[in-house]
Amino acid sequence: MSETPSLRSRFRAWLGLAALASGLGALGLSAEAQPSSVPNPLVIEILSPDLLSGTAGDYVTVRAQITNASPNALTDITTYLSLIDTQNKMPVDLEDWSAERGLFIGTIESQQTLPLNWKIHFVKAGTYELVVVANPAGSRTPQVSTMTRFQVTPKRNLNPGQVLPVALGTPLVLILLFLIAAYKRQRREKS
Amino acid sequence: MVNTLWLKEIRAQVYTWKGTLWLLIAALLFSFASYLMLTDKELSLLDQTELLWMLSKIILGTAFLIVSIDASSILAAEFEHETAESLFLSPVKLNAVLFAKWLASLTLWLALFAVAVPYMVVTSSGTRLAFPFLGYVLLLGTLGIAGMTLLILGISLLFRSSKNTLTTSLVILLALSAPGLFSSTLKASGLAQIFARFNPLDNIFEALDNVLVDYQLSLLQNGRYLWPLLLFGAAAFAFLFVSVRAFRRQGYIKHE
Repeated sequence: MSETPSLRSRFRAWLGLAALASGLGALGLSAEAQPSSVPNPLVIEILSPDLLSGTAGDYVTVRAQITNASPNALTDITTYLSLIDTQNKMPVDLEDWSAERGLFIGTIESQQTLPLNWKIHFVKAGTYELVVVANPAGSRTPQVSTMTRFQVTPKRNLNPGQVLPVALGTPLVLILLFLIAAYKRQRREKS
Repeated sequence: MVNTLWLKEIRAQVYTWKGTLWLLIAALLFSFASYLMLTDKELSLLDQTELLWMLSKIILGTAFLIVSIDASSILAAEFEHETAESLFLSPVKLNAVLFAKWLASLTLWLALFAVAVPYMVVTSSGTRLAFPFLGYVLLLGTLGIAGMTLLILGISLLFRSSKNTLTTSLVILLALSAPGLFSSTLKASGLAQIFARFNPLDNIFEALDNVLVDYQLSLLQNGRYLWPLLLFGAAAFAFLFVSVRAFRRQGYIKHE
């Protein structure tokens, strides 16, 4: 009978330790979750429609805007595009798609909104997804816009009706010119 | 006098049909390329601007090759046919002879360009790029080929042999076009980028890419590609100047 209170007290002590541990765990968890509660200082919105369609070779302008939602001015922000080929599940090299691959913002004041416009050249047929990314200097996480989709249909340049006369005609005209020159030369030599 | 010499060179080129056969072969090559690009299902899926860029590469590549071969023999042949002595001892200045031969080589390029015009017009129809396409191919081709022929004439004066001049010219042309075969990783290396900055062929094709694909049409927007071509022309002229001085020092009849 004398052992029962001792067992109880031990059980209570274990419970207390478990509660302390769970409390500490909860504190740790809340400390980890803290950054997600901090609002993003930059908000990027794509103003163009969610789906932009065209034929290979067409140009479209993607209009977006960036807003500084923080109470302080932000400096040295690099904004750029990220394009994904959804058929091939691969990112796309933007070299031929856009002459301006990135736009640099020196300073954006608090609550200020700046436009971001990119002229995009539909180079190849397919379906693509585009996001605008902003990377403020010193930030560990870039800010990303919502996604815009491109639907690019192929452009066939099949126009044999135009090219055939040129492809056949030019060599034939040259042969004719050579024959005329040769004939004139022979006549001159004979005379 | 330059005019007479230039006309004499041109007449010598077109005197027989064999002398102009290359023009016909070039026309057949352009016919084949443009027909294939516009009718083949796979190739016709290419963006039209990319197609124009490919055609410009074929036209300028053919022009560089043909004009380099011609310029290699246009002066060196005078030494091999033993007509150099009478030519240089006549009351014609060496500079006038060189200028006339340089103009004759450039005329070949202009003849080739004239043959290529219908192909460029038909492939660029439907785009707003017909005039920029024609204008930039003419401008960039003339700048590049003018420099190349000056360089080859300088080599001719030093070597006085068609075979050696031709071999050297073709090796130079091959070296200038070699970066086109490099992988993108190799192209990104520092040395390759320095070479590409000054390589006339690289600058010509980069400028055409800038005009046709990126739609940067003004001369100002292409200035960074044009000045290396002018620099190449100036360097080739300086080399020719040095070759002329060496040639005069050695005498018209070289004693080995």
